[in-house]
Amino acid sequence: MTAGPAGPARYGPPPVLLTTLSSAALLDGRGDLELAREARGAPGEWGGVYGQLVRLTGPWRLSLVVDGSSRSLPETLVEAGGGSDRWQTRHRWGRLEVAETVVATEEPPGAVRRLRCSLTDGPALTLTLRSRFVPFLLPVLVEGIRPARYRADARPGELRVRQRGYGLSFRSSVAPSRLYANGVAWVGNSREGPVEEFASDHEVVLTPEAPVEVTFLISGGLERSIPDTASSELATGDPIEVADRAERARVAWEARTPIVRFPGAPELERAYALARSALRRLYSAPGDGLVGLVAGYPWYAAIWCRDLAWMLPAVLWLGDFDWAERSIDSVFRFQARSELPLLGGEPGELPMQIAPGPLFLYGTSDTTLYYPELVLRLARHAGRASVPGQWRDALARIAGWGRARADAETGLLRNGGEAETMEIAAGPVARIRYGIDAPDTTIWDSTDRRDHAIDVQVLWWGALRATAELLEGRPGPPDPAGLRALAEQVAGSVTSRYAWPQEGYLYDSLRAGAPVAQLRPNALRAVSAGLLAPETARSVVRRAARDDLTTPWGVRTLSSADPSFDPGTYHDGQVWPIATAWAADAALAAGERELGLAYLTSIARQLAAQAPHANECFRGDREEPFDSCFVLGFSVAPFLTILFERLWGLEVDGRGPRLAVRPAFPESLPRASIDGLRVGTGSARLRYRSGRLSVDWSGGAPLRLETAGGTTWVGPGESAEVDVAAGGSAAPPHP
Amino acid sequence: MSTGRFAAVLSLARQGFSVGVEFGAHSLEALVGIAETVEESVYEAGSLAGTATGISFALANPPLRTGAFGEVRLRIDGAPVPSDALRARTATAPDWRTASTVSARAPLELAAGVRTEFAVDGDWGPSDGELTVRLELTSIAIPPLVWFEFRDRVRSGGPG
Repeated sequence: MTAGPAGPARYGPPPVLLTTLSSAALLDGRGDLELAREARGAPGEWGGVYGQLVRLTGPWRLSLVVDGSSRSLPETLVEAGGGSDRWQTRHRWGRLEVAETVVATEEPPGAVRRLRCSLTDGPALTLTLRSRFVPFLLPVLVEGIRPARYRADARPGELRVRQRGYGLSFRSSVAPSRLYANGVAWVGNSREGPVEEFASDHEVVLTPEAPVEVTFLISGGLERSIPDTASSELATGDPIEVADRAERARVAWEARTPIVRFPGAPELERAYALARSALRRLYSAPGDGLVGLVAGYPWYAAIWCRDLAWMLPAVLWLGDFDWAERSIDSVFRFQARSELPLLGGEPGELPMQIAPGPLFLYGTSDTTLYYPELVLRLARHAGRASVPGQWRDALARIAGWGRARADAETGLLRNGGEAETMEIAAGPVARIRYGIDAPDTTIWDSTDRRDHAIDVQVLWWGALRATAELLEGRPGPPDPAGLRALAEQVAGSVTSRYAWPQEGYLYDSLRAGAPVAQLRPNALRAVSAGLLAPETARSVVRRAARDDLTTPWGVRTLSSADPSFDPGTYHDGQVWPIATAWAADAALAAGERELGLAYLTSIARQLAAQAPHANECFRGDREEPFDSCFVLGFSVAPFLTILFERLWGLEVDGRGPRLAVRPAFPESLPRASIDGLRVGTGSARLRYRSGRLSVDWSGGAPLRLETAGGTTWVGPGESAEVDVAAGGSAAPPHP
Repeated sequence: MSTGRFAAVLSLARQGFSVGVEFGAHSLEALVGIAETVEESVYEAGSLAGTATGISFALANPPLRTGAFGEVRLRIDGAPVPSDALRARTATAPDWRTASTVSARAPLELAAGVRTEFAVDGDWGPSDGELTVRLELTSIAIPPLVWFEFRDRVRSGGPG
């Protein structure tokens, strides 16, 4: 690390994100559902209602009309506040006062707005609330397109809009007196064609003695999921109750997660709480039986399976085994069984994205490789002696997929070429052709890292080892011993072919047999995996800490000394918190404890500055979010995982049960504790103070506690105290 | 139908069948719906028209990606169009801009749902002939080239 924090980071007013498992509302907090954000270098409008991972609307605005004059809600804003479950604003225009509550609703998936309108004094007046919204109706995974044509049906109590299998329902507690389409009065019934905006007028008569409440609901997603009956009554009836219910569910979930404390590092403790809260907001059960976590908001509001794979280890450490299991199951449902070149799929490959429809798309080199280790993690955390048979079949297919892409001489997995395959497949049959010339789709998918990117090889090595362990004893191919041998071959190729002695680092890739001399943080994954000799690992970590790669606000995707470095380019110079997390992880793994803590503290500072959000990326030349989702799972989940796995040095295996504790606390962090750490069906309480560890265990069977010094057994309901350097006795107690 | 196209159609049918069998008819319907939406929502069908100085066409949405583009290129029937012969304007920035003035510092900004018109100077063949038009855009934030290609008949009477 070259320097400490660069002073308070300057961010604009944080966007407001209201989420449920099936919906989201995005707004800027001033009263309307509008949200102007820079995206891909230009202003974009991301406000609106999202249901079932479908963007239902663009901006949804309400204005107040009295005697021919009108004011927008933001123009009349007096005060605003709220949290992740509701947003409340107060507005005043002369003697008219309006209090609005906005809530995302899970069932039906959408958002509700309740306005309480009142007069301070004087005679009665007629207030017209004019609602205007831009229809969208396309899954968020299709970036940058708003469909051109819609079918709309106005019927009693509802305006319904449809577009190729997607639909939305607009309802209000006060029936509209007029409808408009594209600014022109519309008599109602049905219309079909291009629509820029739907609007409606809702009139109420106010007196100082009689405030009036008006509720609006927009919900939808898959057209076939929208009920024909007026079943939205619950949501329109009492949005406060809906928000209270969501808040209770969130609080109950947090209460089941571990309590992590660092008495000497309050910033880490606060960052843990912020990251955990941000992760919970990404939970998604959007329909069609899918479960997972949304990658981020606003433009990655879909289940991206690579992003999910980075989030699930944190979900497991937070003790939510059920969510992790259902998420993995959702991904495995869409494993390709045959060649699907139009979707970029090869047999055994796992999807890049899944969404209700169900919709899915393949075409990455790395997503599939994460899942064997995730299955193994789940088995260990939850204490499952075996994994379901259908998962073992899926794992066998993954091994087959990887082997088909592996080089016979080196064992290295080939990445890249997916987009080209899709283009070739679509070319001869398409009337209209389109594409993005991305030759390679690893985690840095906008740059070309063919043919054998280093981090992909680390994933491949881990997938082979995990698959071998999980398939042990399963009849039929693949043979676990063969997978282990291949893993050894990959490990040997990594150490022998990627060494970059001039930099004391690792090459980023091998292309046509030649090393690609680019300095990226991806090489740090080999350190974390333990593939390098200790001295080499330390060299790599120290090299990454130099200021061409590490900035005070995090780690760049490419060294600033590289000829192709561009500080504004997504994967060729921008700073990504996930890269900073890799650096922290590698530093702690290599024994560079203070450096690891410095990286973690840098992430913690950013989380505090952006609370409750966590930006995806920053410019590479200054601490400014650019082309950045305002919250991304990548930016919080790895941080959480590192706190447990590296700083605390925890390994769990509920099948024993077993808990290994090899802390990497630097001298500046002498005290720490965890309450409620789930190990299988049991729970552990850990206290660390200056090299001493105490463990309270509440499981049903004795806990095998491993530290650097040896093994100690802790009986159910008992405690143990050990020196984490010296260890304890190795004699297991009688059950 | 050429052999290559016939084989591609057969492959498409096989893939569609596989998706339907393995993942259900809803999946097939949803995937086809998305592909058709993208096809219909970018190029405004029938907008390729002759003008007094060349041809013009319109896009109802950016092709796949929004944001700021530092370079805009066009090919017609494979031939590159000189950047000073290509102009663009959007519904939110209605003044025509020549492609040669577009750069990373002065990008062309495209947003979802915002219409963009393109005008190309030059003689591009018979007024009622068919042309293959390929638009190539380079984002200032995400480098890989975004491209969009359509084939259509040139109609008469486009905007000057």
